[in-house]
Parts: sequence; C-alpha cells; structure tokens
Amino acid sequence: MIKPAKDKLLASIFTNSPGLVNLWAKQADIVTNTSTPWASAASNTLQGPVALVTTAGVHLIGQPPFDMDDPEGDASFREIPSSTPAGALTITHNYYDHGDADADINVVLPIERLKELEAEGFIGRIARRHFSFMGHILGSRLERLVGETAPAVAAEMKKDGIRAALLTPG
Amino acid sequence: MGLIQRAIEEADIPTLSISLNRTVTERVKPPRAVLVGYPLGHPMGRPFNKKTQISLLKESLTLLRDIRVPGTLVDASDRYRFK
Repeated sequence: MIKPAKDKLLASIFTNSPGLVNLWAKQADIVTNTSTPWASAASNTLQGPVALVTTAGVHLIGQPPFDMDDPEGDASFREIPSSTPAGALTITHNYYDHGDADADINVVLPIERLKELEAEGFIGRIARRHFSFMGHILGSRLERLVGETAPAVAAEMKKDGIRAALLTPG
Repeated sequence: MGLIQRAIEEADIPTLSISLNRTVTERVKPPRAVLVGYPLGHPMGRPFNKKTQISLLKESLTLLRDIRVPGTLVDASDRYRFK
C-alpha cells in the first residue's frame, strides 16, 4: 500500500478507537518529564492578547503544506493571522482523520470562537496571529523542534506581548 | 504538543493545552491541561457545535487563568463527552 493511503487508513482506525490510542500511548517512546516549567498567570491574564497554537497541521491555503513524505515529520511552523477567514485555511496532516476539522476548522483551531469571546468581552483582546505545527515529529526533526522552531515561536509570541496561550492537538 | 507548550511557558507565557489522552499528558507533564473525552482530531468536539465549542473554550481559558499548581491535569466536565 502506498504511504499516504496507509497513513490515512491508520489515522481513521485510531480516530475511531480511543482504546487503541491508549494501548499505543502506554508503549510509545514518549518523553517522560518529572517537572514542568511554570509562568504565573495574573488575574487579568485573559485581557490578552490571547493566542492559539495547534499541532493539527493547519495552514493558509497559500502557504507551503507540511512535509508528509519525511517519516520523521516536519518541525516547521506556519503563522495564521487572526484576520484569516476560516475558508482560507486547510490542513495537511495524514496521521489523524481531519474530515470533521476540514468541515469546521474550529474543531482543531477555535479561531472563530475566540474572536466571538473577544466580541462578547470574555477576553480582552485576541492575538494578531496564531501558530501552527504538525504533530508526529520524531528523531532529528524532534531535535529541531525543541532546539529551534518551538523556541522561535515562543520568541515571536513574546514580541506580540501574548499573555495567555491555548494549545490544541490534531 | 507538550514540548511546544513547555517552550512557550519557558518564555514566561502561561499556557494550557487540550488533552485527548491521559497517558500521554501525564508523561509529558505540561504546565496545565484539560482532558476532554473526544477522539483524535476533535479537541474542540463535533463540527458546527458552536455552543459546546464556546463553553469548552471558556472553561479552558478560565482554568488557564486560575490553576495554581504546576503540572495540573483537569478532567473537563461530563458535558464534553463525544455524544
């Protein structure tokens, strides 16, 4: 079977079988941390700007898609301006079934919902841009993520004065 | 995703992630996470279920602001089961 078709079949099976995901997670080579970094949230932290970060492989239709041919994944990221209409977004990620997210991008990147929370005053201000990665990053690509691209996104968010970030997986 | 979250938190920006799997999240140990009972590919639930998406987003942002213990993983309310 060719790789994209095989990936999509596996993605569909995993999406519909939470038990299988658990079995996978128990034996998978996942980093195990005993401590966690900590930034205190101020009582007015939701005054913002509030940003979204996703690993669901979302990008603008006009941006280069994530590289699905490299078995170690793609550690690069895409900027998603807040002004982007939902219809201008697409997903490149063969390792989960994104049929529902294709229909409604808010399933993985709740950008329209966050704008609504700004309009109703639940948050003060939405960030001017959000960031997107693809998950399933391994080996040397994982080293690039940890050493380069994740800190680069953090630095860009710092420049934007982000005060709260919500992360969503694929 | 947890590794990206940790990098952002290390830049002194408070973060919270939506988790779809307890085992993975307990191992990665992000600063704050909320566990929803949704399948892969659906961190915010079903498509076009605007009411639930808004409600989960509000609950998540409130937890982001209010959690005081590093490494806290909270179970989302039962209403976020994938019905």
